[in-house]
Amino acid sequence: MNPSELKYTEDHEWVGCAGDLYVVGITDFAQHQLGDITFVELPKVGRVVKQHEETAAVESVKAAGDVYAPIAGTIAAVNETLETQPELVNQDPYGEGWFFRLGHVDAAQLSDLMDEAAYKDFLAKNPD
Amino acid sequence: MRQTPLYGEYAAHGGKAVDFHGWALPVQFTGIIQEHLHTRSKAGLFDCSHMGEFLLTGEAAIRGFDRMVFGDMISLKPGRCRYTGILNERAGIIDDCVGLKLSENELYVVTNAGPLEKVSAMILGACPGAVDLSDATAKLDVQGPLAREVLLSLGFDAIAPLAYWTGIRTRWRDAELLITRAGYTGELGYEIYMPNALAPELWRVLAAHPDVAPCGLGARDTLRTEMGYPLNGEDVTESITPLEAGMERFIAWDKDFIGKSILEEQRVRGCHSVLVAIRSASRQAPRHGFEVKHEGQVVGEVTSGTFGPSVGCGVGLARVPQAVAAPGTKLAAGPRDLVIEVAEMPVYTGGTCRRKF
Repeated sequence: MNPSELKYTEDHEWVGCAGDLYVVGITDFAQHQLGDITFVELPKVGRVVKQHEETAAVESVKAAGDVYAPIAGTIAAVNETLETQPELVNQDPYGEGWFFRLGHVDAAQLSDLMDEAAYKDFLAKNPD
Repeated sequence: MRQTPLYGEYAAHGGKAVDFHGWALPVQFTGIIQEHLHTRSKAGLFDCSHMGEFLLTGEAAIRGFDRMVFGDMISLKPGRCRYTGILNERAGIIDDCVGLKLSENELYVVTNAGPLEKVSAMILGACPGAVDLSDATAKLDVQGPLAREVLLSLGFDAIAPLAYWTGIRTRWRDAELLITRAGYTGELGYEIYMPNALAPELWRVLAAHPDVAPCGLGARDTLRTEMGYPLNGEDVTESITPLEAGMERFIAWDKDFIGKSILEEQRVRGCHSVLVAIRSASRQAPRHGFEVKHEGQVVGEVTSGTFGPSVGCGVGLARVPQAVAAPGTKLAAGPRDLVIEVAEMPVYTGGTCRRKF
């Protein structure tokens, strides 16, 4: 995904449109903060999630965190490769390191999120 | 935050300092897993200058220290190191430490950064003429299967005969330093104690070696956790005794020391809880502070936990009752009942620390 075409949350998730579905992952900033990622827990396909609901979990050597759904929708697919290669999140957070795809989304909620410029601005004000 | 003499060296290798017991120390340079695996396969370089060092000279000083610790520091032979600990009156561990007998008349003591202020006052109070060298001393650990070759190639000829848990006083570039063959990683390794002024030069020489990678606190923690080595302040605190911490083999029952009578009672009565190694069934890690459950009941607590890069699963230490302390016992940890089991110590068995030369 091209970072300039994504929308961002203050919890450092990104979401982008890919055909009929919306792809979700964590940002480059988030993977840097976490360091070496060692474990990813993914949601079940078919689960209906609300906006900002805890949807996945991520652990690194030094920390653990939750991944929230940036917008409401239904889990259409998950990146099972992360179960054996969680380091893909570090290596390619906007590509191979995606977490899940959402269908039946509430696209209006995208307007609640930041674009790339606003997210960069947010990071500049919240460096930690 | 206090800085070690090597503070200025971190940035050149990508290290970013964080607060560790009031010291600005690097968590990582290139990445915790990479540094961990490099130490297991080649050699890692660790700045441990935050630790405490004391020189005790003369019989009165050594006797004074011997009364403070559960290990026998008097019969310790020159050239040998001994792992031990300083106890309070209730036999709780104030600090775990290492003594190196430099000569019949000199004991060098290495302590942790966390309780250093308290420990320094105790040692200086109990050991006549003891000198606290902590502020003047830098410590570099070189750890890994290639550590010996690296040091020999840089002119540290004196280390060639060192066996595990022995040490020597030597010189390098006109400065006096101490080197012990010890460590906190499970790998063949050496700990080098030197005057502050020499440390940046030695760091640069070591870091420039192609087999050496600078490593931060993160890798130090994953390496020691895979070995089941306790961390002062996390696994080992004043509320745990050496018997509960699994240190019975280091206790000298035939001498007197502070806290001994409590330990003797505990030895007869048995420990309620003990420190055990744990491993998870997945890549998911137990974490410090997680409750430990056995058959649904909370029975203990995880004191250390992380992902173990060399074992590929979560590893840690936990305090649990004797009844569920046998290796293989199935337990659950944390809010989501992570499946863990008591493991044989060490969890990582490929370490090279005992290699013979």
